[in-house]
Amino acid sequence: MNRVKLLFFATIRDRAGVKTLELDIPVDLTIQGLKDKLALDYPNLKESMKSVLITINREYAFDEAVVPQNAEIGMFPPVSGG
Amino acid sequence: MSSFPTVYSITESEIDLNDLLAQITLTSTGAAAIFTGMVRGETKRGDAHDTEYLEYEAYVPMAEAKMKQVADEIRERWPVIEGIAIVQRIGKLYPKTPTVLIACTAAHRDTGVFDAARYGIDRLKEIVPVWKKEIGPGGTEWVEGEYIPKPGE
Repeated sequence: MNRVKLLFFATIRDRAGVKTLELDIPVDLTIQGLKDKLALDYPNLKESMKSVLITINREYAFDEAVVPQNAEIGMFPPVSGG
Repeated sequence: MSSFPTVYSITESEIDLNDLLAQITLTSTGAAAIFTGMVRGETKRGDAHDTEYLEYEAYVPMAEAKMKQVADEIRERWPVIEGIAIVQRIGKLYPKTPTVLIACTAAHRDTGVFDAARYGIDRLKEIVPVWKKEIGPGGTEWVEGEYIPKPGE
C-alpha cells in the first residue's frame, strides 16, 4: 500500500468536512482511480470529483498520472485569487 | 540576470508598497509598473451586488512556488525586466483593502514593463492556488475560477 496525504481547499474542504486526510491506497493507483475511490468512499465528495483540480507534490496532475509513494495530493476548485 | 530581485509571498499582513518597491528598484531602474487589486464593496458590472468582506485562503507552499513560476515566465518573455514583486494577502479583507500586488521594474517605461505586470496578474489568477469566499447581505458564496491548468503548468 501507499500512504498519501490529501489536502482539501475551498469548496472541496467544505464538502469533505476536514482539511486533510491520510489514506492508504494501492500502489500504482492513478489520479482517476483515486477520484473514483473517493467518490465511492465519501459520498459528499462524489459531485466534487467531476471537476476537481488535483496536484501531486504541489504540481498540477492529470487523470492518467500514477500517484507516487507518500505523495502530498491537493484537491481544489479552479483558483480565484487576486 | 540571476542578480535581479524576485520577491514573492503569501501574507496575512498589510501589503507594503513602498517596501516592495524598494526591494525591486536597482540603480539602473527608471520605471515600475504596479498593479494592485482591492476588495470591491459595490459591484455594478454584471450581477450587481454588495460585498461586506472577502475571506481568502491559499495552499501556501504551492502558491508561493507558482508565484515564482509566474515570475520566471515573465523573465522568459520580457528579459529586460529587472525586479519582480508578487504578493497575495489572505485572511478576512474588507472593501478598499489591497489584496494583491504585482510590480515589475525596468530601465525605461517603453520596455514592456506594463505588459509584464499585466501578464503577472492574469497568470496569478490562472495558476496560483488561492481562493476567496464572498460574504455579503445575501449570504456567503465561494468565488470559483474558470481556468483549468494544462500539463506542465
